[in-house]
Amino acid sequence: MVVLLKECRDNIRDRRTIVSSLSLAVLGPALFAGLMALVLNTTLGEARDPFTLAVAGSEYAPGLLEHLERQNLTIVRVDEPSPREAVESGRLELVLVIEPDYGERFATGQINSLALIYDTSGMGTTRRNALMTRQMVQGYGQKIGSLRLQLRGIDPKILSPIVVDEVDTASPAARALTILATLPYLLVLVIFMGGFYLAIDATAGEREHGSLEPLLSQPISRLQLVLGKMAAASVFSALSLALFLLSLALSIPLVPLHKVGMSLEIGFQQVLLMFAICIPLVLFGAALLTVVASFAKSYKEAQTYLTMVILVPTMPLLITQLLNLKTNAWLMLVPSLSQADLISTTIKGDPLNAVHVVISCIGTGILTAGLAWLAVAMYRRERILI
Amino acid sequence: MIQVEQIRKSFGVVQAVREVSFTAADGRITALLGPNGAGKSTTLRILATVLRADVGSARIDGHDVTADAMAVRRRIGVLPHAAGLYARLTARENIAYFGALHGLGRAALKARIDELIERLDMQTFADRRVAGFSQGQRIKVALARALVHDPSNVLLDEPTNGLDVMATRALREIILGLRNEGRCVILSSHVMQEIGTLCDDVVIIGAGQALFRGTQQALRDATGETDLEEAFISIIGAGTE
Repeated sequence: MVVLLKECRDNIRDRRTIVSSLSLAVLGPALFAGLMALVLNTTLGEARDPFTLAVAGSEYAPGLLEHLERQNLTIVRVDEPSPREAVESGRLELVLVIEPDYGERFATGQINSLALIYDTSGMGTTRRNALMTRQMVQGYGQKIGSLRLQLRGIDPKILSPIVVDEVDTASPAARALTILATLPYLLVLVIFMGGFYLAIDATAGEREHGSLEPLLSQPISRLQLVLGKMAAASVFSALSLALFLLSLALSIPLVPLHKVGMSLEIGFQQVLLMFAICIPLVLFGAALLTVVASFAKSYKEAQTYLTMVILVPTMPLLITQLLNLKTNAWLMLVPSLSQADLISTTIKGDPLNAVHVVISCIGTGILTAGLAWLAVAMYRRERILI
Repeated sequence: MIQVEQIRKSFGVVQAVREVSFTAADGRITALLGPNGAGKSTTLRILATVLRADVGSARIDGHDVTADAMAVRRRIGVLPHAAGLYARLTARENIAYFGALHGLGRAALKARIDELIERLDMQTFADRRVAGFSQGQRIKVALARALVHDPSNVLLDEPTNGLDVMATRALREIILGLRNEGRCVILSSHVMQEIGTLCDDVVIIGAGQALFRGTQQALRDATGETDLEEAFISIIGAGTE
């Protein structure tokens, strides 16, 4: 307890470190929400935005124009002597060119080829708009073709023996959820970052500054000493986590999820629930950081090790995603993975599987105890001083 | 009262302490004298319970340093080679941390710290953060920290290292004060002058072995030298031959 208080006070004094380790927790969700809002807006726009199509020679094909105008796009009738140049120079984005002999060929049943001029080297939506234009023109062509077949007494179906029905299930909401799926990574990272500096300072830092030796000659058991240090790291991890969740709860409502008919409620209750779910992970993180930092002789060395260690808890998340593993009780034994899964479930508003929660706590708890034991064993050895 | 019996300690292939035995009595200042790397610090660290002797035993007030480390830790105050203070804490907080680890209550701790601040003349910097302290100030804080639980045995590893004349003098007075209170004080040093003015008993350690044990006078008599330094050289020279 004495160790815990001292380490906390010591760490709080280090303002710059505190700010840097907690800023991720505060700014993370804000960035996150911003990204989500951005994706939502662009994907929403993709589906519905009307676009502008320039048509040269519009007067030759009134029927086609009428058809196009009924679609969700704005027609600009242009009178360009050289539409190709207009596109090349960037004055126009997309031009449909109708030749003067269109009407005559149409009437005589000849093939009419219309040039669609565009430049896809730029970013933006040109390619998509061109595709949509082509589909509209083809749609018109098919309609006319069918009518002609019907006039001749032939069933138009004869031309389309096979039809492909494309079903894209990626609704804008689903895309937003993809981003939401990265939330657990961020959460795990935030938890580990919170205790990062304290863990280093309390172990490798103490060693480097020579304060470990007098500390070890104080009448306090190694167990108490190590637990005190881990507890202090946990306090800051938990603080970081709390800030993160709070920031998340405040920034999620700013994302225009209602536009896609989704509701993402991260209320007070969810925040508490997520906090509770992550507590074992907080302790695990503190233990892991403390153990690894104890191996290091200097602050710098510890920083190098821990930067790698921070990547470790994100590994299970990546692997399961790559292998497409489904949630099951076994996976709940894995720290970080189990919490990530429970968190996603909570965010989606689905009910939690109580057995999973218990297994998650136990699995992570056992590993934490193992790490703590390892740390104590290290502090019992005199090598810690040499 | 500190009794060391034939302790031996190696780090890998390096034999830091080969065979050191001595007794340091209460109310006396015992110097561990020896060249650099002779094994003084290692001996003190074994007494401070942070290292364990490979062979031999050491007892402090009758408690074995390995078997009964907790009891030993309560009876010793240690000033390690590096002061080892927490830079972001104030002098007072540094002292209070160790006091709390010794289980001192809040009120008792405050009274004790005030007393030490007064005694070590630390009033001007007691409530400042340790970062930026001079070496003399650091040693004082570290010493106050070592004394916070009023230990009967005090282990000082080269306490005057890096101190200027005034600070050395002040520290000398403090150490003599500790002796006069009846404490058992052990200090390691390689500064002859310091030993001459401060210490009652001398243990000369060379190449990990205790080459001489006795009072200053006994050292002079044994070597036939009147000058402490000459006596030291003659002992060390004989030991390494």
